[in-house]
Amino acid sequence: MSFFRGLTAQWVERYRKMSIQMVLSLSFTAVAAVGILLMGVSLIWRFSTASQQLVAENSQRVLAQANLNLDSYLRRMMRIADTAYYRVIKNSDLAEDSLTGPLSLLYEANRDDLVSLAVFDSQGALVSAVPLSSLKPEVNLVKTDWFQAASRSMENLHFSTPHVQNIFADPDYSYRWVVSLSHHVQLTRDGVTESGVLLVDMSFSGIEQVCRDVSLANGGYLYLIDKDGELIYHPRQQLIYAGLLEENNQAAAAYRDGSHVEEFQGQSRQVTVKTVGYTGWKLVGVAPAASWPASSPQPLLFGLSLLLFAIFLMAFLNFLISARISDPIRRLEKSIKELESGQADVEIAEGGCYEIQHLSRSVRSMVSTMRHLMDDIIQQEGQKRRSELEVLQSQINPHFLYNTLDSVIWMTESGQQEEAIQMVTSLARLFRIALSRGKSVIPLCDELEHARHYMNIQQIRYKNKFSTQIQAQPGVEDLYTLKLIVQPLLENAIYHGMASAEDDGLIQVSAYRQGDDLIIDVEDNGLGMRPEVAASLLDADRPQVRTSGSGIGVRNVHQRIRLTFGTEYGLTIFSEPDEGTLVRIRLPALTREEADRRQQGEVL
Amino acid sequence: MRERKSTLIEITLLGLLGGLALLSLVGPQLFRDRAAPQLLSLSVLLRDTDSSGWTVARQGMEQAADEFGAELRFLTLSTYGDSDEQTELCLREIDGGARALVVVPADPSALHTALLPCKTPVVTLESDMEGADGTAAPDNILLGQQLAQALLEDWDGGTVLLLDIDPSCAGVADRIQAAQAALEEQGVPTRRASSLDWPPQERWVMAFDPLVTQQTAEQKEAGALSFALYGVGSSTTITALLERGTISALAAWNDYAAGYLAVRQAVQAVRGEGQTLSPLTFSILRGEDIYAPDNQKLLFPVTS
Repeated sequence: MSFFRGLTAQWVERYRKMSIQMVLSLSFTAVAAVGILLMGVSLIWRFSTASQQLVAENSQRVLAQANLNLDSYLRRMMRIADTAYYRVIKNSDLAEDSLTGPLSLLYEANRDDLVSLAVFDSQGALVSAVPLSSLKPEVNLVKTDWFQAASRSMENLHFSTPHVQNIFADPDYSYRWVVSLSHHVQLTRDGVTESGVLLVDMSFSGIEQVCRDVSLANGGYLYLIDKDGELIYHPRQQLIYAGLLEENNQAAAAYRDGSHVEEFQGQSRQVTVKTVGYTGWKLVGVAPAASWPASSPQPLLFGLSLLLFAIFLMAFLNFLISARISDPIRRLEKSIKELESGQADVEIAEGGCYEIQHLSRSVRSMVSTMRHLMDDIIQQEGQKRRSELEVLQSQINPHFLYNTLDSVIWMTESGQQEEAIQMVTSLARLFRIALSRGKSVIPLCDELEHARHYMNIQQIRYKNKFSTQIQAQPGVEDLYTLKLIVQPLLENAIYHGMASAEDDGLIQVSAYRQGDDLIIDVEDNGLGMRPEVAASLLDADRPQVRTSGSGIGVRNVHQRIRLTFGTEYGLTIFSEPDEGTLVRIRLPALTREEADRRQQGEVL
Repeated sequence: MRERKSTLIEITLLGLLGGLALLSLVGPQLFRDRAAPQLLSLSVLLRDTDSSGWTVARQGMEQAADEFGAELRFLTLSTYGDSDEQTELCLREIDGGARALVVVPADPSALHTALLPCKTPVVTLESDMEGADGTAAPDNILLGQQLAQALLEDWDGGTVLLLDIDPSCAGVADRIQAAQAALEEQGVPTRRASSLDWPPQERWVMAFDPLVTQQTAEQKEAGALSFALYGVGSSTTITALLERGTISALAAWNDYAAGYLAVRQAVQAVRGEGQTLSPLTFSILRGEDIYAPDNQKLLFPVTS
């Protein structure tokens, strides 16, 4: 039980691992093979039955013909007996006439079929005989079967089984096999009738010839038995007499006319029986099962070949059809697998029958929806991130504000009214541009203005330890840029580049157009840094380090630009120790209209 | 990967089915080739100068040849019982392509020595031969004993003459030896004679060879002699002599069966299917037994 359970589980497991095409093709092939096999078995069975019937019909036909010939032969013998009786014996008075002359004539006319003709009285004494005329001295006819049969049943003709005729004294001692026909006759002697027996010895060769020429198809044969099953003729009679062969003749004697199947000596065979009229003999046709067409390996192998070819053809067609059916499903599965592996722009295969097309369309629709949702999420996430960065950026470092206001107080107290006014004005201007009425994209001139004011404040605070040059290529100032992207770089240049400067520090901001891009370079001649350090500044995985500047990091600027315009834009840092640092901002060169559209898109 | 595996399974399955279909188409041809074996060429060598005494045995041989797919060549000697000639004929037949020999050996030991280097199967009739693939003959010793027993039933005194015409024939020699022993055991005096002194002095004569039996009986009839003759054989002539009372008792066996079995054994030996042949059954017949149904079948072959 557990074995079958295990087997079932194994098959279920295999089934799960199979492709749909394999399942379809194997299932169809298995069903087709079973169907074809059942059909084949049915056909073979029908063929076997039909061939058995055919053999039986053939045997019956042959036996009917043999019966006709044998009957004709026996009737001829009976006519001879009748002739001898009615034309010779009945017309003769033994006291006056001899039967020998007429019997000799009759014998000569039929000598090919006859061995002897003889008439005996009721005591078995010879009345007349041809061609041999004397009996062996020791013979006692009354004890012979044929004599007794004729004496017992007077109306009938009696046929013996084959035997060697031994009653006549034959100087040649030619022992001949005969079948004796005996008949009770009325002899007339001196006008008085008495009983007698007419003996007609038929040559066995006559019967043999009738039967020998008859053959059944494919190794079948025919034999003749009397009503008790005693062999009269058999094609291998001598082998049976020699004890080298056996025949099922006793069983055949019990069969009725028709065809029967019997087992004899371990072999199946079909036996057809036909009773020969009058004598009660039986013609038996034997067709060994091995001789039946259905038993021959040739038609069976041919049938098997046809079956196998049909299964092969069915399997081939099934594989083709299943491939055609399953191909769209396989392509759909492949597309989904590509999707699963993260490939973008995967084309969902669509084909096959209605259901698969519908499925493909549904998957395509689902993928499209998913993509939109994902885009929305990405956009929302970007927007959120950008907002966060902008919020961070818009926050003024309290230290910066405190220091600035502290400087204003200090300057006011020390009577530096002009400088104090200038600082407060720059601070106010700084805030105005930073707010920009909530816009994230502002004209480059405003951004550069914002940078100037920021640098004004810082220069006052740092007592002009460094100088600042801010310039823009003609026409570039009308272009638009993200707001507050230059100031963090200036803050970075001041805190890291100008910290150790002594009145010779220089920070240059230059904006220019390069193709479709707007470039803003922020360059200082400060301490600089190693290129690998410069490269790592923009690394997204680098831990967030809050600078001591305005609190807005270079990396935030970089991320804001990339989130807003794409990864091809952003910052590039060039730096060498003791030579200074150049931070290059790359932006798309936005016109007013483009900036407005972008602003509207963000709002929406 | 899975697709490739599926394709591989499909191709294997198709190949297997195609191969099976092809094999079943080619199969019948193989069967046909095997179903038609070639006829085996067999030579039958007698020790007589003509085959008239072997007519019935020959019919049995031909029946077996027909059934088992053989063709027969019958050869007789120019001189009765000439062992050298028979040996020479045997070797010539083997050289000529005979696949097996069926021999009535004139001198079994000489023939065995001559055929020793040859691998051709040999089946003997009448006499056993060392190295033979079988012998289709009655139990010669038993036959001799039972024939002697038949004589003893009639014996009322006097010496029994045992005709030993051809002492080299082992089968016949066994019969004589057994008969002589059986007779002497019962105190019956015997005498062997290599030729018949005519007329014989003894009242009891035994012959152990069909030809000698026939010739002795015919001479007895011709000379109207009164000695009792006991012999062997089942030919029509010998049967007639038995019926007439010239032969008192006869040891007879079925020659048809002997011929049939000899050829069947030879064919089977060639095909490597040889089986041990059992001795043929025989009957001791007297004149009044001839027409018993079983004896009719034994003595008179059913032939057209």
